[in-house]
Amino acid sequence: MTQQIQVQTDNDNAFDIRDFDLYYTDFHALKKINMQIPLNKVTAFIGPSGCGKSTLLRCFNRMNDLIEGVRIEGEIYHHNVEIHSKEVDVVQLRTDVGMVFQQPNPFPMSIYDNVAYGLRCQGVRDRKILDEVVETSLKQAALWDEVKDHLNRNATKLSGGQQQRLCIARAISLTPEVILMDEPTSALDPIATNKIEDLITELKDSYTIIIVTHSMNQAARVSDRTAFFLLGDMIEYDVTEKVFHNPEDKRTEDYISGKFG
Amino acid sequence: MNRIRIIKDRIAEGLTWLSSGISALMLIAIFVFIFKRGWSTLNWDLLKNNYNSENLMAGYDHIDWDEHGAFTAPGSLPDDAFFSEKYGVAFVDSVSAAKAPQMEVVFLDPESPLQDGKITTAGPRQGEKLGLEEGLYLKKISYVNLEGDKKSAGLTATQGKTSEELVSVLDNDSTEIVDFYAQTEGGGLKGSIITTLLLIGLTLLIALPIGVFAAIYLHELAPKNKVTAWIRSSIELLSGVPSVIFGLMGMTMLFQVTRLFGITGQSTMLGALTLAVILLPVIIRQTEEALINVPDGYRMASLSMGATQFQTIYKIILPNALPGILSATLLSISRIIGESAALIFTMGTAIMDNPAWNTRGTSLAVHIWTVMSGEQPNFELASAISIVILIIVLILNVSVKYITYRMTRDKDEQKKNNKKEKVKATTET
Repeated sequence: MTQQIQVQTDNDNAFDIRDFDLYYTDFHALKKINMQIPLNKVTAFIGPSGCGKSTLLRCFNRMNDLIEGVRIEGEIYHHNVEIHSKEVDVVQLRTDVGMVFQQPNPFPMSIYDNVAYGLRCQGVRDRKILDEVVETSLKQAALWDEVKDHLNRNATKLSGGQQQRLCIARAISLTPEVILMDEPTSALDPIATNKIEDLITELKDSYTIIIVTHSMNQAARVSDRTAFFLLGDMIEYDVTEKVFHNPEDKRTEDYISGKFG
Repeated sequence: MNRIRIIKDRIAEGLTWLSSGISALMLIAIFVFIFKRGWSTLNWDLLKNNYNSENLMAGYDHIDWDEHGAFTAPGSLPDDAFFSEKYGVAFVDSVSAAKAPQMEVVFLDPESPLQDGKITTAGPRQGEKLGLEEGLYLKKISYVNLEGDKKSAGLTATQGKTSEELVSVLDNDSTEIVDFYAQTEGGGLKGSIITTLLLIGLTLLIALPIGVFAAIYLHELAPKNKVTAWIRSSIELLSGVPSVIFGLMGMTMLFQVTRLFGITGQSTMLGALTLAVILLPVIIRQTEEALINVPDGYRMASLSMGATQFQTIYKIILPNALPGILSATLLSISRIIGESAALIFTMGTAIMDNPAWNTRGTSLAVHIWTVMSGEQPNFELASAISIVILIIVLILNVSVKYITYRMTRDKDEQKKNNKKEKVKATTET
């Protein structure tokens, strides 16, 4: 397991990041990032707080657009299209690149409406299609059996773990190619965390998943590739097993072995 | 040293007690004063009656006055009523809201010949049937006396100025009644209540959409730069301007707007426009507050699912800000009810019984002003109106409290749930 990740053809990559820099007003948050995110694999971003991993994640669906004073340089290609270019419809991009947040954030409406929200925003009114999508999404998110009898209940009444799985179902409902997960289990208890991790392993056949995590164990358990960030630099990016067992960089080793972070 | 500190503490504590005591006492004193002065005047009739009384004259033709026998007084008559056995009618002396003596008809027998009068005053109601009914205030009654001469009695006549005298004149000296002159009850608040409701409706219709949209722009869409900050501070400045100045502005500037609707003078519409300007800062501030309270996670989640900015605003943010917007509305309503200075300029002080959006009129607060600024200030009526206003404002405030309580309770529940999760997580690891 020592092979270096090669620059592959674009068709095998969900994202191709080239010389990417990001500044928050004056703060240089991401420095010359170069990496390819492979399709249908789980890629984990690890690193201490403030290292830029979440910032990079939010670039993939351009959620950084919402933050004042963000300036970028360099390119991120998604199927040969630079996602920050003018011809990219950010609304379209976000249906193609879904996101799950750190805090479970279901809308204060029924479970059904939560899952149907994305499609309704796209103008789908057909009850049959909506019913079908709600069911398949909830099944894929391993939540269907728990909620199928009370789809009209308010989603905020669910437990934290269920809420997070609902958020995953909500993201899946639009059949995105990529699902971004920003520390999806940091607000959950271990049992709920396990369920989410199992879910991630199941989902990776159909989706490309990029997960930011603080838990080294989680990265080791669920991911195929791991990237280690430190102070805005990408220090190391390789097959997960190699990063964890035989890291090239001393700093990666120190972080993984718990010497800082 | 320690003792000095304790004494200092006690004094400071005492001062806070004193201050809050004074404030509470003042409030209670206002309530007691107003209720004491106004409670006896306040009744259902006051709320539903016209302010301006109608003058009516009705004549009795072709009635055979000999046919009717003597009537007996019903047991339900008040003690101070005087009953005419000859005509089956009873009067009570009283004092009007404007402190003038009056003579109220409190009973008219259904068989009485006085039932069959016809209105003789010129106007649309001429020829209509009108008896000397209960609720009318008799001014003058003309009759034919035993000598066959036409005489008159009543408040505006030379004789029969009290109910007792009148009844004795009618029973002992009259053979038939020619006509009577009476007034309907006046001094009521009906017109002002309608105007107030009309004003609330019109003002909210104008101010709410503008205020809510402005708040959405300022909080959700506007770039965080100097221009936005400048707009925000000028809105805040607007809320500090005395309403008299808004009234002047309404008279001169907004008047041009109402002229487009063909209104040539002061009008409820002009008052509503002026109030809308006064209320904008309140509504914008409250709505912004409500928008701030919508968790950012909702915005993020909605946008991340490919919803456009406007879908996010209309489907997620506004529904969640609704309780806040509602409390902004209720606060606005209490401001509208309480405003007077700006309305005196823009809507006038003439109390109207049938107000419309394009005529002058008075809200309840201006009604008080009109009542108190006349030649005979009427404290009792003013206090009664104050009670009505206080009750409405009280109800609104309680509603606002309830809504905020509901809002925070939901949030607390969510927080509690989150905490539970975290506790569970820590105990299990």
